[in-house]
Amino acid sequence: MNTNSHGQSLGQPLAIAGGVAALAVLPFLAGNAYLEHLLVLWMLYALLALSLNIVIGYLGELTFGHAAFVGVGAYTSAILSTQLGLPPLLGLPLAGLVAAGFGLVIGYAALRVVGPQFAILTLGFGAILFTITNHWVDLTRGPMGITDIPPMAIGPLAFDSARPTYYLVLALVLATAYLCHALVGSRTGRAFLAVRENAPLAASLGINVFHTKLMGFVAATAIAGIGGAIYAHYIRVITPDIMGVHNVAALIIVVIIGGRGTILGPILGALVYIGLLESLRVAGPLRMVIFAALLTGTVVFLPGGLISLWQRWRNAHRSENNLPATPTGLPSTEGGAK
Amino acid sequence: MFGRRTLLAAAAALALTLPAFGAQAQQPPVRIALIGPMSGTGAFEGQLGLEGAQAMAAVINAKGGVAGGRKIELLTYDDKGSPEDGVSAAKRAMEQDNVDMIIGGWFSAVALSMKEVTRDKIITVMTSSQHPKVTEEGHKYLFRLNATSAMMSEFYSKAICERIKPKSIAFMNVNDDWGRLELDNYTKLLTGCGIEVKGHEFYNRTDTDFTTALTKLKSLNADAIYVAAINTSQGATIYRQIKQTGYRGKVIASAGNMNPKLVELSGNSLEQVYSASPFTEDGAAPSLKPWLEQYRKDYKNDPSFIAALGAQAVQTLAFGVDAAGGDPRAYDKIAAALKSQAVPTVMGELRFSDKGQASQAIHLVQVQKKQIVSVRD
Amino acid sequence: MDFTVFAQQIANGLVNGMAYVLIATGLTLVFGVLRIVNFAHGEFYMLGAYITYFVGTLFGLDYIAAAAISAVVVAGLGVAANKLIFWPLRRDHEFTILLSSLGLALLIANGGELLFGADPKYVESPFADEVLDIGTVTLTQQRVLVFAAAVVALIAVYLFIRYSRFGKMMRATAQNPDGAALTGINIGLVHTYTFALACGLAALSGALVGPTVMIFPTIGNWAVLKGFIVVIMGGLGSVTGALFAGLLLGVIESLGGGYISLGFMEAIGYAMIIAVLLWRPNGLFSTARGLR
Repeated sequence: MNTNSHGQSLGQPLAIAGGVAALAVLPFLAGNAYLEHLLVLWMLYALLALSLNIVIGYLGELTFGHAAFVGVGAYTSAILSTQLGLPPLLGLPLAGLVAAGFGLVIGYAALRVVGPQFAILTLGFGAILFTITNHWVDLTRGPMGITDIPPMAIGPLAFDSARPTYYLVLALVLATAYLCHALVGSRTGRAFLAVRENAPLAASLGINVFHTKLMGFVAATAIAGIGGAIYAHYIRVITPDIMGVHNVAALIIVVIIGGRGTILGPILGALVYIGLLESLRVAGPLRMVIFAALLTGTVVFLPGGLISLWQRWRNAHRSENNLPATPTGLPSTEGGAK
Repeated sequence: MFGRRTLLAAAAALALTLPAFGAQAQQPPVRIALIGPMSGTGAFEGQLGLEGAQAMAAVINAKGGVAGGRKIELLTYDDKGSPEDGVSAAKRAMEQDNVDMIIGGWFSAVALSMKEVTRDKIITVMTSSQHPKVTEEGHKYLFRLNATSAMMSEFYSKAICERIKPKSIAFMNVNDDWGRLELDNYTKLLTGCGIEVKGHEFYNRTDTDFTTALTKLKSLNADAIYVAAINTSQGATIYRQIKQTGYRGKVIASAGNMNPKLVELSGNSLEQVYSASPFTEDGAAPSLKPWLEQYRKDYKNDPSFIAALGAQAVQTLAFGVDAAGGDPRAYDKIAAALKSQAVPTVMGELRFSDKGQASQAIHLVQVQKKQIVSVRD
Repeated sequence: MDFTVFAQQIANGLVNGMAYVLIATGLTLVFGVLRIVNFAHGEFYMLGAYITYFVGTLFGLDYIAAAAISAVVVAGLGVAANKLIFWPLRRDHEFTILLSSLGLALLIANGGELLFGADPKYVESPFADEVLDIGTVTLTQQRVLVFAAAVVALIAVYLFIRYSRFGKMMRATAQNPDGAALTGINIGLVHTYTFALACGLAALSGALVGPTVMIFPTIGNWAVLKGFIVVIMGGLGSVTGALFAGLLLGVIESLGGGYISLGFMEAIGYAMIIAVLLWRPNGLFSTARGLR
């Protein structure tokens, strides 16, 4: 039998290797700089969506504050590199650290409540961060934004165009995906799921619900901060709008449409989002209506997101060939009870 | 005798000559990308700019297009008012759609990031952005139409000092680079002619209600309130609410922001209010009337300054292409022509500096009986 | 301290606060009775304002008639939304319903932009510009109308819930949906009427507040945010809580903006709700289950 002791087919690592190789070759297939730019945007959104997925998918809580952490990371790195002349390479981990710091403080306060109260609290904190960024002109230049942000550079190699940036973000996406994969299989990951499915029961089993949630939240915000920093050094202009309501909605749309609680889901969702965004350019405001319809439709009819379509097909295919159905990664991956 | 080979060869020969016929009958159009806010905040202003540009393109095309009989084709892109989308749009226009020239930069943040994408690669005309860095750190193919804050305030402050003559003034400004710059400029210029500045309030770009701020301003008891507002809907709300607080002093509208929609939405609260604008409907430029006619024919909105900027952008590019002999890709020639000659536009003759900054004529205007009229001595 | 200005700011705050209360009441009803968190609530506010505008301009009806028609139409739209989305999903997880309401909100807001256009519009009202001087305080007639109409509406809602037969059905469902069903209450009907009432209230507030500002398709965003802050501060399901919290928010925003910092006025509201939630996670007037 082509399975290892966990009942996973040995074909899976091969498939993953193939997928990674395909992703690595994409920029060369792209043909022009514009498509390479889209690839970078895809990877950036995938990274941010993966981080948001930790909160929405694994912890099972809706948060409206995620874009604010992206913004904190972006501004941290931008300010450090433009005002203090710090090399962007150092700015990246610092951005993650600062964002995680905010995540710790805000999470500590907000994670005491759940559901809509938690969502509103995160919204509130996010709005306060936005207001501070918009008004503390001496630090952030307020609505004028920070311009002329230097591009990321590792030694002599400068990431000032789409192609090298793509590889940088791809590497981070793969690292985050691996992190999520390891997390899910680990004890901590199971704790997340236990807390998500039934918090009182989890607590009765000795899981510290609060600490578990806080850890997940901080990890998510750290990654968001790093993603924000990369965005800042790529687009090279940032304004407080990075924390605005459009981005808040966009990230949630990506995670839900792709498939929350999975690893491929956010990546797929980001691809669909960027792809549709560009191909629907002609449609104007109709574009956002289509996204909204997709979101609502997905929530109502396909709660597992688009990735669940593929999972269903794969399981059906396996049962045809009398192969054992691969567990779809997690018990009830679609976040929450039905 | 007339085998397949011969027929094939004849067909090929015929096919090769067809483009020659086509070239004489119809030249490829000059493709111009219009990148602006078509959704989100600023969508209304973006739409006005688009209408103005399209109307001007129609006028030029009706007269046979630019040199060589080439028509102008406008392609629209939505930058949503955000730098990221502006950059995406510019890249798509340049690399995917292969446009010849770009019009954009309605918002400063977008202009600043877009200029880096177009740097030395393609002729770019920035329209309404007033941020000084757009031309200070521009590039050889970059041009900017709108007067800078400094230029407007020099003209307008004279009018305020000499014609309106309030004894004291208070400011209601939007919290962004332009609003802050306005406050600095006018505080200096107006105190210079003896007007006392009693205070100011900043409001956010996303605010919808201004009564708290206006209550504070009213209590300062200034002779006049100066409103610095770009967004039409915010401006209209502010003007109405000033009246609603019971304030009885004079209201002065900032330069460059008067448009018919603003007047319509403000009810009676803009009567007799002054402003300054490079655009007036009763201007003397020869290209103004045909453009106004076309605009009124095609669109429901009344012609406005923003629309005129769109028209100016198209005129500038058309002039450049004409001067370069009809080749829209002869960027160096076009840039040289624009920087050395006067460009006739709907708002009079434009002169571009070495850095691509235009110098616009500015007029004093006043709202009388719900119409924007220019004030002449 | 200038007392006139102080009084004026308080008056402004009370009027704004009352508008928040009107928006929040519908929201808290839907949660209290049906346990649905409806992010699309603000969109019904937006629709209320727009339909008032269109009825007024297209059919030439006067403001009051237009507002009344708008409330009825939007109530109907609320019933439709319930039928299409919330009723079929009623057995699903709270999270799913929350997300679907988010999707609905985005759908209506962007659909509105598509249908109504991006240009700002103004809802004409004969009361909008007329100024009343009450003592040292200056208010437009429209703002007084907002306050008065809200008070009347709230009293009506309160009496309705307390004394009418249907109100009792709503309260029963709020306390225990299964138990209520067992006693023969038609839960589907309760759903329908609750949505009709809530969306009608939202539309009414849109029609009332509309003439004080410009309207555009994204005002629903603002409305639902204020609504949620008030609802959560007052306690989900508590109408009295919404009343108290709404007025408090309005006054504190006004005073904070007037005396501390205008720029941070928005943030003050959020800071307040954070403080309240940290102290009393279920809101100031937290209720166990049921409607208060």
